[in-house]
Amino acid sequence: MIDIAWVYEFASQWFEQIISLVTQGSKRVFVAYLVSALVIACAWLVWRRGLGIGVAIRHLFDPTLWWSKSSSADYQLLVVNQAVMLVLKPLILSKLALATVLFYGLNDLFIRPLWSSSSLGGLSASTIAVFFTLTLFVVDDASRYYLHRLMHRWPVLWAFHRVHHTAQTLTPFTVLRTHPIEGLLFGLRSAVVQGTLIAIFVFLFANKVSLITVLGANVFTAIFNGLGANLRHSHVSICYGSRLESWLISPAQHQLHHSVEQHHWDCNYGAFIALWDRMGNTLVKASSEQQLIYGVPNVGPQEHTLSHLYWQPFVSVWRSFRHRIQIKTRIETHESND
Amino acid sequence: MNKTILSILVATSVILSAQTQASVYADFPITVKGYAGDKTHSESFAGQMARHTLHNSVKQLVSTGATFDQTSAYFSGKGEGRAIINPVSKSGFTVLQIKVDELSAGKNLAGKAYKGLITGMPGNLTGAELLQLMLEKAAETDNGFDPLTGYDYTQLISKFTMGAVFYNQAVDSYLDEKLAADTKPNNKAYKEGAAYTGKEHVWDEAFGYFGAPAHTLDLTANDVYLIAKQKPEGFAKADYNGDGNVSLVNEMAYAHAYYAAGFDKGGKTAYLHTIVQAFVDGRNLITAANGEALTDSERSELVAYAQVIKTQWQRLIAEAVFKYAGSVYGDLERLEIIIESNGDAVKAYRSYVKHWGELKGFALALEAGGVNLGDTGVKLNRLLGYSPVLLGNTQVVALVDGDFVQSPSISLSEYRVHMIKIQKLMLDAFGVEARSKDVTANLTELVGSLGDALAAEND
Repeated sequence: MIDIAWVYEFASQWFEQIISLVTQGSKRVFVAYLVSALVIACAWLVWRRGLGIGVAIRHLFDPTLWWSKSSSADYQLLVVNQAVMLVLKPLILSKLALATVLFYGLNDLFIRPLWSSSSLGGLSASTIAVFFTLTLFVVDDASRYYLHRLMHRWPVLWAFHRVHHTAQTLTPFTVLRTHPIEGLLFGLRSAVVQGTLIAIFVFLFANKVSLITVLGANVFTAIFNGLGANLRHSHVSICYGSRLESWLISPAQHQLHHSVEQHHWDCNYGAFIALWDRMGNTLVKASSEQQLIYGVPNVGPQEHTLSHLYWQPFVSVWRSFRHRIQIKTRIETHESND
Repeated sequence: MNKTILSILVATSVILSAQTQASVYADFPITVKGYAGDKTHSESFAGQMARHTLHNSVKQLVSTGATFDQTSAYFSGKGEGRAIINPVSKSGFTVLQIKVDELSAGKNLAGKAYKGLITGMPGNLTGAELLQLMLEKAAETDNGFDPLTGYDYTQLISKFTMGAVFYNQAVDSYLDEKLAADTKPNNKAYKEGAAYTGKEHVWDEAFGYFGAPAHTLDLTANDVYLIAKQKPEGFAKADYNGDGNVSLVNEMAYAHAYYAAGFDKGGKTAYLHTIVQAFVDGRNLITAANGEALTDSERSELVAYAQVIKTQWQRLIAEAVFKYAGSVYGDLERLEIIIESNGDAVKAYRSYVKHWGELKGFALALEAGGVNLGDTGVKLNRLLGYSPVLLGNTQVVALVDGDFVQSPSISLSEYRVHMIKIQKLMLDAFGVEARSKDVTANLTELVGSLGDALAAEND
């Protein structure tokens, strides 16, 4: 028996999740960030490329990009993923549970130093807020880099992350072209990093910790998103120049990360800060003149179907596993024959 | 004639139906068979309300430096003519009665105090003995405060009286063994000539000990809070019968009902209304039995209401333990910083001792509920100790020849961590929900401000 009330409740939550993608400041495709990206892209095309405003706008809204098979798959994945993530929600490690366990653990192991208390004569609440917000942004960004790097270097993880890289046309919504397994890993990363930092800060500074937010997002995340982070997934190659690109990842650098060319593979894993790529020898500077083809080799049209996007990673992992077993068996047979 | 009879029958059934759905704990009809007195309703809890005024009065006496004889007159005495010291009329909040006898004569607190062992304080004392000792010690101090042991007797005596008398009597007696079929049965008067049956009065007594106004279900938690605080804006809410006075029998709020209102007005809990609703529902059930013995199924239903009350009441006390552990945590933090900077710690120490007294009083109260708390009780007592950790890192460890003896203990910082553990214990063992002064509140707040990770955004 299908419980109608449950179906209705689920459907309304699903709808809310989809809408929240463009109405919440903590989401990359929040409508204000999309508008700011549009303005920045227009300005770039007009001033740096010398295009007329009309031509620039037509270029930005080129229907062959927005309604390509690849982009259409992005939209389908975006919608279905919100339902899948709702179902998988219980599997996502609770930030609060982790933060609470760590907070009690820290209190078991250590006595909070008095210097850290802000109630009398210690650091001011605003100083702690800036320190916490900045630390969270930096550590979060570093962990994104590391996980992203693992996604490319571990074959099992690559099978799932490949879904994102099969995109052949990039629009801001490509950021949501993600396999749910990858979504779970992002949730785990976020819970571990944020839960740990919250526990440490509340342990050190008691109830004086706050997050500086703009539009409901970490202020630094909001600034980066407002400054055109959505153009990372676009065909507008905005680069920051060699010096700045040593510190911050430009949209053009991320586009290099999506390039099909082999010499561009495994570069620029960073989200906002370029330092991690420098440390990991994966930083590649971009050029505003770069002409790139996006995707991975041998992407057929079937790679943009929902069924393929969801199942192919599991098939790849299974084949790879089976292949390894077969090789192992052959080696063992060969050795025993010898 | 037939029409007249029909009208009477309809009117009677409407009245009966209204009575069985009463939301105010008042005007319950007399159901006891053969009653010949002049009472018009059966509920009776004036004796419990008299004890509430005795408790309030003892609290005020201890805090104002009264002698042992003065406090004893209210704690263990039963003398006539005792003036109610608290609550008394205030500007904008007039109370009807000025003497304890006007509520009920010959009442005291000592006779109803818990006779079981209390392990949270030294000396192997019963609840009643511990209260007696604390009253004696309080009389030797300046306004109930002993800086040498860290005991604020005003708070210790008040909070533990609420537990050892009101909570214990209600949940460990009236809502427990006195609900048994053969104890105070419903087909007999509670006592010869009474206007109420055995079960009616058993239930009324438990209701009285909770300390809620009879019309609580018509009030908000905030209203009840204002009434207990005798705020002028609460007066009209309290004066249910509109006679221009607040009756201390059925229009005033005391003790645990006041604490329930305090937590509930935060919006996260509904202790006050849940408990009073269960009391009202239970009383309606007993009234509907119309003076007959309760059937097994009726008694099961009544026991289920009692269980709701017991569970909620215990959790309510655990909420208070949780809250004051948070207050002590904050006090200790302030105190440590003042000591570190060689500042004047007198005020901070006083606040610490006051909150500790409230914390300890409620913690001891949990022991008086007639329920074996198991390792929760052991942990709570070990974390809290027999006294607060004093400025020289000592703590009371024993009671020898009537004197509290101290010994070196842990540091204030380590004791502060104990408060975190006490809050966690209350959360794990009792599932507290109001969570006032939660030392982990910031965790929840920050997690909320960071949002979820459901979007599955890539990099």
